[in-house]
Amino acid sequence: MSAFFSYLVGGVALGSGFALIGSGLVMVHCVTRVVNLSQGMYAVVAGLSAATFFGMGAPHGVAELAAIGVAAGVGFLTGLVAMAGRATTPQSSLIITFGLAIFAYAAESLLWGDQPRSFPGLPGAIEVADVRIQKQSLLVIASTAVIFAMLHLFLERTYVGKKLRACSSNPYAARVVGIDVKRMGLLAFGLGGFLGGVAGVLLGPLRPISFDSDLTLVIDGFAAAILGGLARPLMALLGGLLLGVAESMVAGYAKASYQTEVALVLMLAIMVGQRARLATIHAEAS
Amino acid sequence: MNAILEVKDLVVRYDAATALDRVSLTVGRGEMVALIGPNGAGKSTLVDALSGIVRPASGHISVRGRFAHVPEGRQLFPDLTVDDNLLLGACRSGDRDPSWIYALLPDLAGIRRRRADSLSGGQQQMVAVGRALMARPEVLAIDELSLGLAPIVVAALSDRLASLHRTEGLAVLLIEQNARLALDLCSRAYVLEAGRIVSEGPSAQLARSAAVANAYLGGGVALGT
Amino acid sequence: MTPPPARAQRGIRRRLLTRLHAAIAVVIVVTLALPAVLPASALSTYILLELTAIVTVGVSLLMGCAGQVSLGQGAFYACGAYTAALVALHGLPTPLGLVAAPVVAALLAVTIGVPVLTLRGHHLAFATLAMQLICLSLVGRMSSMGGDIGLQGIPRLSVASFELGEDRDYAYLAWGALALVVVATRNVIRSRPGRALRALASSEVAAESLGVPVGRYKLAVFALAGGFAGLAGGVYAFYMGYVAPASFPLLLSFEYIVMTVVGGLGTISGALVGPAVVTLVVQALNRIATLQGMPSYAPTVLSYAAYSALLVASILFLPDGLVGNKRVRRLLLRLEND
Repeated sequence: MSAFFSYLVGGVALGSGFALIGSGLVMVHCVTRVVNLSQGMYAVVAGLSAATFFGMGAPHGVAELAAIGVAAGVGFLTGLVAMAGRATTPQSSLIITFGLAIFAYAAESLLWGDQPRSFPGLPGAIEVADVRIQKQSLLVIASTAVIFAMLHLFLERTYVGKKLRACSSNPYAARVVGIDVKRMGLLAFGLGGFLGGVAGVLLGPLRPISFDSDLTLVIDGFAAAILGGLARPLMALLGGLLLGVAESMVAGYAKASYQTEVALVLMLAIMVGQRARLATIHAEAS
Repeated sequence: MNAILEVKDLVVRYDAATALDRVSLTVGRGEMVALIGPNGAGKSTLVDALSGIVRPASGHISVRGRFAHVPEGRQLFPDLTVDDNLLLGACRSGDRDPSWIYALLPDLAGIRRRRADSLSGGQQQMVAVGRALMARPEVLAIDELSLGLAPIVVAALSDRLASLHRTEGLAVLLIEQNARLALDLCSRAYVLEAGRIVSEGPSAQLARSAAVANAYLGGGVALGT
Repeated sequence: MTPPPARAQRGIRRRLLTRLHAAIAVVIVVTLALPAVLPASALSTYILLELTAIVTVGVSLLMGCAGQVSLGQGAFYACGAYTAALVALHGLPTPLGLVAAPVVAALLAVTIGVPVLTLRGHHLAFATLAMQLICLSLVGRMSSMGGDIGLQGIPRLSVASFELGEDRDYAYLAWGALALVVVATRNVIRSRPGRALRALASSEVAAESLGVPVGRYKLAVFALAGGFAGLAGGVYAFYMGYVAPASFPLLLSFEYIVMTVVGGLGTISGALVGPAVVTLVVQALNRIATLQGMPSYAPTVLSYAAYSALLVASILFLPDGLVGNKRVRRLLLRLEND
């Protein structure tokens, strides 16, 4: 039984990371209608940068924040490229972000080599009713909760947040009203970079990151986000948690290497299921 | 003429189709001007060009004051509240206090926290107008004010507009399929058909012309005779 | 400006047509002659180029005419290769493997396509990506498919008593497959369903309202593209002699997309020009990357970087691809006339 709870907590921590990446995908998609396939890259860049900063002797807190800053900057840059050009459609932008993700592979292996890196997080573990829980896992869960709360406040209460929601809600009206949609798009990409960076910094101590973690992370993030149809950050949280727990259970009780398959199959099932439900609604309406 | 809005020989193309073909019009300070014409004539395209949403192929647009646009079909932000919708209208002006809008349109005060997509058509139109007014415009373009609204609602809205025009000196470009309404409210009018201005002049004169009467005013019964 | 009279127009068209036919004849002669004169290392690149072109024609058809983005086309390539390998290794006549490859791949495409093609845009793109990953990991686990190590010792293709033992033989086989695929695609594009497909690419809703059975056409194109990839995979299996999951990474599917975009979506010539250009660029970079003093990971890094740079530059600056771009066209015309 204690194994079950241990897997559960581990899964929730893992899922929180997926939720952060997923919410980055949702933000960018809502504001720009682009699916950012390079979203996984931000977490990897953050994780690897944090490892480097630690290696250079930076203290806790500073290294993580600097790494998150790097990720946000990279997010902004990918936004610049993905939305460049007057006639770029969301379909083309999707392919561009795919290209950027592959480019990231190259850049990452160039800068950090091909060995997985990790860095220390919150050391130690606590015992709750016979269950051993890593302190880092608790940090991940707590931080994610705080970040989601801050995100919610940002979107609901601040003017910039409302402008972002306006772009998502009605892009034509946003332009009528005078909102600089392109600038909002770049902000969304930067925000996606920030969220991905936080995920990378939080998950780094739990699982080692290397240049080929990009793809698994973006798939996990997408699987988390797709539950809300890429439209609602809160659903990305739920989706992420579900996915994290599922993967953790599979890793614990079955074989660890099946994790990505679980994500993939779950994601496909959700997508097809949503589409089928939409089709029946249309059929009933007509 | 001290025109606040001037369009000269505007040409707008969508791929191979020409939506606007050398359109010219002016709106003077404090004037109410109507733009009438059938569906698909290009009226909304013209306003999009004024708003900067559509880029013209050639021609000249000069807007000499703050400009705001009430789009066809209201185009609110459906999942945001009435209050937020109004606030977002202040993007261009920077003056984010909506209290004067609630004073002008008191019906909105009671529903300020409701989601925009839960409102009736008339209420939504009021929010759309309020949102545009938040930009403190000197010239306001309204696209299809009356579409889908009951006549009594349209009358109430037109009254508000007329009083604003009187008190604030707001210039209005009223784009309407409902020619009778447009010609009633505005002193001057243009007729746009298939991307071209086919007539223009004082409203009373246009209302009397046989062509306009036949096409837009139910035929045979011309106003003012 | 008054249009030229009808007879002059016919004359112009006839001249353009003969020029086009001449160009095609030149291409055919050159590509047939190349295997005889190329040195061994260049020949293997040439063969892989031909195989890639076969897959790219399918991708171009899928993306350009049917408007579907498939990020996992490598899965069908792998399917064809594994099918051919399994048939040959179980003692059955090798030509059967070559025929089975596209058929099985097309069947896989239909099976996957039925649920997946109900999705649109980015959902579809992601689903195809997922599909390739799932296929590869499944194959990697099954010992009957050789697991991670793959299948080795695939016998050479032999028809009647003639065995294809030389690399050159496979170059000609691939050429034949490519020619077959090009002719088939041309017929599809020209047919009535093909023209309906073009309507699909611009607007599904419009096509549907015109009574076009959108779902069935999308599935048909998806199956056709899958079949093309399967055929290429079949030739690959006999040429290489071994297949493993590692031979079909996600990067492969990415390559197909890059080549399609660079060449120009929806055109046959684009699907031929794209792979040629991209392969040449990558080869040149490889030459640089393996020079003295370059680190060991330079080739992979440079090729990743090259593919992505080509893709991004293409989409931003040449959205219609090399073949579709008006400026490139004008340049070619000027070259022709001088």
